[in-house]
Amino acid sequence: MIPSDLAEFRAFALRSIDTATRYLISTAKTAYSTPETGFNEYKTAMFVQTQLQALGFVVETGIARTGMKAVLRGAKPGPTIAIIAELDALRVPEHPGADPETGAAHACGHHAQIGSLLGVATALSAPELKNALSGNVAFIITPAEEFIDIQDRLGLKNAGELEFLSGKQEMIRLGTFDDVDMAMMVHTSAINGSSGLSIGGTSNAHVSHQVRYIGRSSHAGGAPDQGINALQAAMLANAAINAQRETFRESDVVRVHGIITGGGSSVNAVPGEVLYEGRVRAKSVEAINPIAERVIRCYRAGALAMGASVEVQTVAGYHSLRQNPLMQKLFIGNAELILGRDSINVVPYDQTHGGSTDMGDLSTIMPVIHPYANSASGIGHGHDYLIEDYDRAVVAPAKVMTATVLELLGDNAQLSRKVIENHEPAMTKQQYVSFQRDRFTKDTYDPT
Amino acid sequence: MVDRASLKSTFSSSVNLRADELERVSRDILDHPESGYREIRTSKLVAEWLQNNGFEVKTGIAKTGVIGTLDTGRPGPHIAVMGELDSLLVPGHAHADSDTGAAHACGHHAQIGSMLAVAAGLTESSVIDGLVGKISFMGTPAEEYIELEYRESLQSSGDIEFFGGKQEFIKLGFFNDVDIAMLTHTGGETAGTFGIGGSNNGMVGKTIQYIGKAAHAGGSPHLGVNALNAAHLGLAAIHAQRETFRDADTVRVHPIITKGGAAVNSVPSDVRIETYVRASNVPAILNTSEKVDRAFRAGALATGAMVRIITNPGYLPAKYDESLTEIYRHNAASLIGDDNVIRLNHSSGCTDMGDVSQIMPTIQPTANATSGNGHGIDYLVENYDLAVVKAGKAMGMTVIDLLADGGEKGRKISGSFNAPMTISEYLNRMRGFRSDFTYSE
Repeated sequence: MIPSDLAEFRAFALRSIDTATRYLISTAKTAYSTPETGFNEYKTAMFVQTQLQALGFVVETGIARTGMKAVLRGAKPGPTIAIIAELDALRVPEHPGADPETGAAHACGHHAQIGSLLGVATALSAPELKNALSGNVAFIITPAEEFIDIQDRLGLKNAGELEFLSGKQEMIRLGTFDDVDMAMMVHTSAINGSSGLSIGGTSNAHVSHQVRYIGRSSHAGGAPDQGINALQAAMLANAAINAQRETFRESDVVRVHGIITGGGSSVNAVPGEVLYEGRVRAKSVEAINPIAERVIRCYRAGALAMGASVEVQTVAGYHSLRQNPLMQKLFIGNAELILGRDSINVVPYDQTHGGSTDMGDLSTIMPVIHPYANSASGIGHGHDYLIEDYDRAVVAPAKVMTATVLELLGDNAQLSRKVIENHEPAMTKQQYVSFQRDRFTKDTYDPT
Repeated sequence: MVDRASLKSTFSSSVNLRADELERVSRDILDHPESGYREIRTSKLVAEWLQNNGFEVKTGIAKTGVIGTLDTGRPGPHIAVMGELDSLLVPGHAHADSDTGAAHACGHHAQIGSMLAVAAGLTESSVIDGLVGKISFMGTPAEEYIELEYRESLQSSGDIEFFGGKQEFIKLGFFNDVDIAMLTHTGGETAGTFGIGGSNNGMVGKTIQYIGKAAHAGGSPHLGVNALNAAHLGLAAIHAQRETFRDADTVRVHPIITKGGAAVNSVPSDVRIETYVRASNVPAILNTSEKVDRAFRAGALATGAMVRIITNPGYLPAKYDESLTEIYRHNAASLIGDDNVIRLNHSSGCTDMGDVSQIMPTIQPTANATSGNGHGIDYLVENYDLAVVKAGKAMGMTVIDLLADGGEKGRKISGSFNAPMTISEYLNRMRGFRSDFTYSE
């Protein structure tokens, strides 16, 4: 039977996904077993490329080092919807799935996104569904969503391999999204109640600080009076930052957290150089700015106190996530239709758990949704974060995304055109790129 | 000419006759403690005693200071024998004033006793006739460097320039014609001994004011600038400097918060700190003072507050004259035996005797006659015979050595003293310590 209306197209697609269930889960597990950190996901990318090629796709590779794009064209022209999956792992050496050498581990569940993206691709690449689509589906596999290894990435930036430090940011800059009108992906989350999915809410914007204290080393026992202790400077800065916390408004969802990445070279020498990586998050880039200013003042205070100097490099981070209400409504409708009435939990649009994603950046230039598949146990980014329910993590998201795409691009793509018409992007791509460029700064403060 | 031995013997006998009275005077002062530049009663008591004993007395010097001079009428060295008039503030001390908290927890009351013992013994005409030169008995105010805000107010009203009484005496010219100075402090070393030699740290004093912005601490802390946090960070930053303090410099930095906020439900906008910066030598004081200022500024920078740092000259490091010490040691040993005269180590405390020691040969032996912790609630003079009578005798016998035989020894000590600075250099140095600046970003 050749499907001819939305219900039939949807039923056909869901059957393909059901048939492919074991395969889709196995692709997620394969990705889990080869965890790689951002911009280094060569094995994972090669694996996904092979799977897409097996489905008949022409895959554009090597975008932003490891990113890829494969476009499925519908029977009729129309808008292009991106289905996104993130390639990268975190670094959590104590995670059971960690790579013993690099410490990389899928403690954020990105591997499940590979399975769900391949599920959508499997379903929609069936020739029977071509007529269902007035428009295109771009499968975009993005590197480096986790904003880590900043120094390494700055090295790549200096070498001219990158300009922005996350996968979607860089792909926006490179034009990968130029022909895309809207985007969606499903991220995993911890199991919380009976709903397999949740949607809504926002995420924090953030900025990264690479801080370098320059003191003067000397023998810590023999001549501490000759030294300028860069570690004391950094610790005082940290104490000073903590003293700011009472001024953070809850409504700004401020998070300030740092790590010492170089705390001195040998214990019997006064540390002459200390490296500190700081991060400031808040509900928007605008809310970050005054906080970041205070935090930078604290870095400088540490230097002033000790007579050290400090170099502060600001690295452009993410924007907050803004989800498109109509796309969200369609996603909810399809979840309820396919998985049942209580299958999806809707959270208020302004609710945030404090984390950040570069889907936020994409949401500044186009309509997006970023629902969650509640399928894991443990604490996100923790050593115990494990996908417990692969049906929820891989199969259900594939089904609901597929159905939502069919609805958006079916019926002459009326709904997707409505999404586009009603959406006012915060920025154009060009504005976004120059905005991000301006966020990179480097200043040295030498109080002496 | 009467020999020195018989002069000393006559002197000692006349002190013995006054021993009970001298202890009574000391205990009277103990029971009526007054802190620096407020020693009205103590000053009056000393002045009257000196007047009643035939001295020509000047009063009201540096508010409460007293000088009674004994002039032999023969040219010779001028020696200052001193006693400090002031008490500390130690509420809870057994002899504390219940209203003011003032208490003699540093034993200055016994210094007055020992100073007057010297005066009592030397007025004996058969003693004075054997001496040349002059002896001035100086009751000096305000040795304890405390109540900085009060002293700043005296400074603004023009009553004083310096916070230490002896400093004011120097400024006012009362040391201009003095050649040698001495004072016996009480001490807590091995009981029954005199301590000699030693040295003291010098210091500067600072008053720090952080100015933030008040706001409701619950309702709108984001609108405030927390001056207490600024102060807290400033103090933490000072502590981070400590590893750079050299052992040889015996640096001490020990702040207190004198105002920490007005109401707990309001973001503190006015916080005040007092601190000393002490060290064994002036370069170390200046170097540390700079680090401390830097640390306080960092507290302001971190929080966006403003800080005002006023630095006042404190005391100079004390170094006691060895030749003079040797004469004193001989006399002290004649009273209590060689083994009971012990050498003192460097003390990280400070005294305005340090200032005197920079311009003339000076000694400040200790009479180890106390129990408890210096400046603590339990510091008590236990042995008045040592702290008042014997201490007075040891000083008086030393004065006799210096001024007998035409004042030969006194001239020699004065002449061979290599003064680190003249009085006018001293005043410039001290005024140079003063600074007052405000910092905000």
